[in-house]
Amino acid sequence: MYEISLLTVMSFSVIFALSLNLITGFCGQISLGHAAFYGIGAYSAALFTTDGGSFWLALPLAMAVAGFFGFIVGFASLRVRHDFLAITTMGVGFLFTGFVRQQDFLGGEEGIAGIPDPGIGQIPYMLLCAALAAAVIAFSLYLKRSWMGHAFDAIATDEDTARTLGIDVARYKLTAFVFGTALAGLAGALFAHYVKFVEVESFDFIESISVLAMVIVGGIGSVWGVVVAAAFLSVLPLLLQVFADFKLLIYGVLLFSVMYFAPGGIDSLMRMVWRRISGRRTAA
Amino acid sequence: MNYSDLLIQGLVEGCIYALIAVGLTLVYGLLRILHIAHAGIFTLGAYVGLLLTNETGSFAAAFVITVVAVGFFGMAFYRLFYEPLLDKPPHVALIASIGLFVAMEEIYRIVFGATSISFLAPPLKDTVEVAGVRLEEGRIAVVVLAVVLIGGLAVLAGRTRIGIAWRATVSDAAMAESFGIDLARVRYINFFVASALAAAAGVMVALLLNQVIPTMGGVPAYKALAIIVLGGLGNVKGTLIAALALGVIESFGTIYLDRVLDRDAIAFAFLIAILMIRPQGLFIRR
Amino acid sequence: MDALLSIAGVSVRFGGVDALADVGFDVPQGALLGLIGPNGAGKTTMMRAVTGMVRPQAGSIVLDGVEISRLPTHRRVRLGLGLSQQIVRPFAGMTAAENVALAAGYAKTADPLRALATASRTAERERAGALLDLVGIADAADALPAELPLGYLKRVEVARALALDPKVLLLDEPLAGLNTGEAARLADTVVDLNRQGTTVVLIEHNLSEVMRVCRHLVVLDNGRKIGDGDPAEVMADPAVRDAYLGAAEASGEARDAAA
Repeated sequence: MYEISLLTVMSFSVIFALSLNLITGFCGQISLGHAAFYGIGAYSAALFTTDGGSFWLALPLAMAVAGFFGFIVGFASLRVRHDFLAITTMGVGFLFTGFVRQQDFLGGEEGIAGIPDPGIGQIPYMLLCAALAAAVIAFSLYLKRSWMGHAFDAIATDEDTARTLGIDVARYKLTAFVFGTALAGLAGALFAHYVKFVEVESFDFIESISVLAMVIVGGIGSVWGVVVAAAFLSVLPLLLQVFADFKLLIYGVLLFSVMYFAPGGIDSLMRMVWRRISGRRTAA
Repeated sequence: MNYSDLLIQGLVEGCIYALIAVGLTLVYGLLRILHIAHAGIFTLGAYVGLLLTNETGSFAAAFVITVVAVGFFGMAFYRLFYEPLLDKPPHVALIASIGLFVAMEEIYRIVFGATSISFLAPPLKDTVEVAGVRLEEGRIAVVVLAVVLIGGLAVLAGRTRIGIAWRATVSDAAMAESFGIDLARVRYINFFVASALAAAAGVMVALLLNQVIPTMGGVPAYKALAIIVLGGLGNVKGTLIAALALGVIESFGTIYLDRVLDRDAIAFAFLIAILMIRPQGLFIRR
Repeated sequence: MDALLSIAGVSVRFGGVDALADVGFDVPQGALLGLIGPNGAGKTTMMRAVTGMVRPQAGSIVLDGVEISRLPTHRRVRLGLGLSQQIVRPFAGMTAAENVALAAGYAKTADPLRALATASRTAERERAGALLDLVGIADAADALPAELPLGYLKRVEVARALALDPKVLLLDEPLAGLNTGEAARLADTVVDLNRQGTTVVLIEHNLSEVMRVCRHLVVLDNGRKIGDGDPAEVMADPAVRDAYLGAAEASGEARDAAA
C-alpha cells in the first residue's frame, strides 16, 4: 500500500538524516560524503542476506561495518579542519563510489539485485523502521542533553578552548563519527531491504548533498527540525510528480535560500512561531 | 600505450585542471569561500561556447565571446549570491555554494535538455605529430591556452596596478583597504578572472569530448577542489603544480590502479594520502 | 619547599626569533607568583608552552612530579592546570553559568561514553553559581556572553578555570580591561583563593596590583629571565629597573614627543 511505503521511506530517511546531524550538527564536523556510510551499510547488509544470512543479523552487521569505516575516516579527519575537512569527506564519498564501481563482488556498475525480503510483511517492516526511527530520535534527544552533548557543543563552537577545559577533542570527534556512521549504516541496511536492489548511484555525491540538505533545512543540530525536514523532503518526490522531476533543483534552491535567509532552518522558524503564539497567550 | 603518450595525455588533462583550479584558488585566497558553484560556471562556459560555435560557425570568435561573457556572469554571480554572505560563518557560504551548483546543473537540464549536445562541425580535430606523439590540435590548443592565460595572469598580477592591489588584498585585506584599495573592485575582478578561466576550460573540454551535458561540471570540479587543497588553499603556484601532477598521476593510474579504483577516485585517494602526511596541503601559503 | 610546577630550560623559537631562550623557574606549592615583563617579553608564550598550545623546541615542564611537556593540552589540564586566557573565549551559545558548569563537569567529560551515561547537571550548576558568586558576577549567571561587558567575561573566564579545581591556576592578564575598583576586587579574590590553597601564576601588566598581591616575582625580558625572587628585591635590581623603567621611560618619551 502507498501510505506504508511512504512511512517506511520516511523512517529510514529520518534515521539517515539524524545520523549526519550527530556528526555535523552536534559535533560541528561537516561531512560532504555521508552517503558513503549509508552505502556501506546497504552493501554489507545486501551481501550478507543474499548470501543466506539472517536479516536480523544484517542490521547490527551493517552498523558495525559502517561504524568501523567511520572510525577509520574519523581518525583520518582528525588531522584536518573546516574547509580541509569538507573536501576530505567529499573525497571519501568519491573513494567509496570509485571503489565499488570496480569491484565484481559488489556488482560493479550493475549493483546487487535480488536482495531477499525480510519476510515479515510490508506493515511489520514499516513498523520496524518507524520503531527504529523513534529509537534514534529518542537517542538523539537524550544525547543532546547528556554531558556528551554538552562537550560536543563546546567542540562545535571552539575546539581549542574545549581542550583547555580538559576535553579530549579527538576522542569525542571519533565517537561522533562512529555513532553517526553506524546509524547511517543501519539506515542503509533498512533502505537496501526495502528497495531490494542496491547500486552505486544511490550513494553518490548527490545523495550526500541530499542528506545534508535535510540537516540544513531542519536546522543544524536541531533534532525535531531535522526530523521534520527529513520526513518531508524524503516523501515529497513520491507524493508530487513535480517535486520528483525537479527534486535537485528544489534541493539546491532550498540549500541556498536557507543559508541566505534563515541559517537556523525550520528549527529557528518553529521557535519564532512558538514565541509569537506563547507571547500572544501571555498577553491575553 | 607508451610512457610518453601517457605523460602528454596527463599534461593535457593537467592543463584543464589548472584552468579550473586556478580560479577556485583565487576565490578562496581572496574570500575564504570554497566556491563549489565554480563547476556550474565551467559548464555554462561549455554550453555557451558550443552553442555559439554552432550558431556563428567560428570557434575562435565563440571562444572569445564566451570567455568574456561568462567572466561578467561570474561578477554578477558574486554580487548576487556571495557578497551578502561574506560576514556570515564560513559554512554558510560553502553550503549556499553547493546549493547553487546543484540548482545550476538542474537549470541546464531544464533549459538545454538532459541529452548531450555536440558541435555541428567539430573544430581542431586534425592531428599533428609532436615529439613523436600524434596529437589532436585541440589538445595542443589546451596546453597553449593554459600557458598563455595563466602566464598572462601572472604577468598582470606582477606588473599592473590592479594586479598589485589584488596581491595586497589577498595578503591582508584590512591593510590593503587602509591604503585606499577598493576591495569591492578587486573582488569583482577576481570573479571575472576566475569565471573566464573556468569558461575557457569548459569550452575546451566540450571540444575534446565533442559533447556537452548538464552534469559535465561535476567530476572535474570536484577534482579541482582536491587540487586546490593539495596546492595549499589559496596558493596559486602550488595549485598549478598539483593540477599538472594530478593529470599525470591519473593518466598513469588508469593503467595501474584500474582494478581497484576508477579514474575519478584516484584524485581523492591521492588527496587523502597527502593530507594525512601534510594536513595543510603540499604547499603552505606563504 | 617542593616545586609544584617546575619549568627548566624552555626555549621557543618562531621563525628565526627567540620568543623564549632557556627560561626556567619553580612555582612552589601554595605560591602566588607574578610573571611580569614589558610587552613582547615572552610571558604569554611561556603560558602557552605550559598549557601545550605552543610546543617548545627544548626544555622540561614538570607538574606535581609528572613531565608534561610532551602531553596534549587536555591531559595537562586533567593533571591539574587551570587556564584563564588573556583574550576571553567564552562558548557563545552557552550562558555564563553553563560555560562554568561545563568546566565543573570535568570528571563527567573525561570519557565520551561516561559523558553519554549521565545527563544531570544539577551539581555542576550549583558549583557554577557558587564560583560566579566568588568572582563577583552572580547576577550574570543566565546571560549569554554577547550580552556581557568585557569585565564580566574576564571573570567568567577565571571562574571557568577555577571550576577545574586546578592545582596550579594560570591567569593571563585577568585584570586587563577592568577599572581600578574591579581590578582590586578580582585581585583580592585571587589572594583569597591562594590563601585557601590554590597555587597561582599571575601574568599581569598592572604592576601596582602585582606588587600588592604577589609574594614572588619572575621577570622576563626579550625572552630571557632577568629576575626571580622576592618582589621588593627583584624590583630593586638595576637590570629589572632598566628593562621595565627603560620601557616605561621610552613610552613616556614617546608620549611626550607625541604631545
